[in-house]
Amino acid sequence: MSINKELLEILACPKCKGDIRLTKDGSGLICDTCKLIYPIKDDIPVMLIDEAIAVD
Amino acid sequence: MELESIKKIYAGYSKVYDAIFKRFFYPRIKHAVHSMGIAPGDKILDVGVGTGLSLPLFPKYCKVTGIDLSSAMLKKARQKAKKLHLDHIELLEMDAMNLNFPDNTFDKVFISHVVSVVPDPYKVMSEVRRVCKKGGRIAIVNHFKSKNKVMAGMEKIFNPVSKKIGWRSDLCLDEFVKKAHLHVDKKYKLKKIDLWHVIFATNHK
Repeated sequence: MSINKELLEILACPKCKGDIRLTKDGSGLICDTCKLIYPIKDDIPVMLIDEAIAVD
Repeated sequence: MELESIKKIYAGYSKVYDAIFKRFFYPRIKHAVHSMGIAPGDKILDVGVGTGLSLPLFPKYCKVTGIDLSSAMLKKARQKAKKLHLDHIELLEMDAMNLNFPDNTFDKVFISHVVSVVPDPYKVMSEVRRVCKKGGRIAIVNHFKSKNKVMAGMEKIFNPVSKKIGWRSDLCLDEFVKKAHLHVDKKYKLKKIDLWHVIFATNHK
């Protein structure tokens, strides 16, 4: 199960509600505004602010 | 209840959930999904999909997005979806009180055994109404406070206990419908004496 493109298009950042995109290595979804990565664990995107990883 | 405690409780449940709860929950879940009037191409949101008891019930001609706060429960749901080749299902770890979808995304929303386990059931319902299209259908399966005095008394005694195991039993159906701004089409119990209600509402926005 890889993340569906259509789903990716509609998913919003839980924090700013803005657009997110798949990271280059496909391990998470990144919000360029908040500089946060929402990890994809076991093929399931974790859309929780508390579990997001800050981008350096 | 804090989200972190809810996550912990459900991580514990995930191991035994299907074995114990399937018996109690499945008949109403099955009835509600089959009665939702799912049309080909419908986009469905399953709020609180848990271990995915409902997933095999959704016809392959619709698209289902299942969300849950518990990664442990979702793992079970994913295993189920893989095993049964349910390619029309997407799973996301998400807070039901903060749905990360645009307005008017889904044709129908299924929300089973959720509103009594979240910190703010009305926030969930306002999010559900926002992401559901106007005229879309909302199906709810949940326990509400009994109108029967004896049963209500029992529930009152058990409420502190149920809170500890992750759900409240003091939610009143009429108040819930009013405060959640639901336009109810049908509400009933599957059996005469049943702890759970099945509600179908139209999203008037």
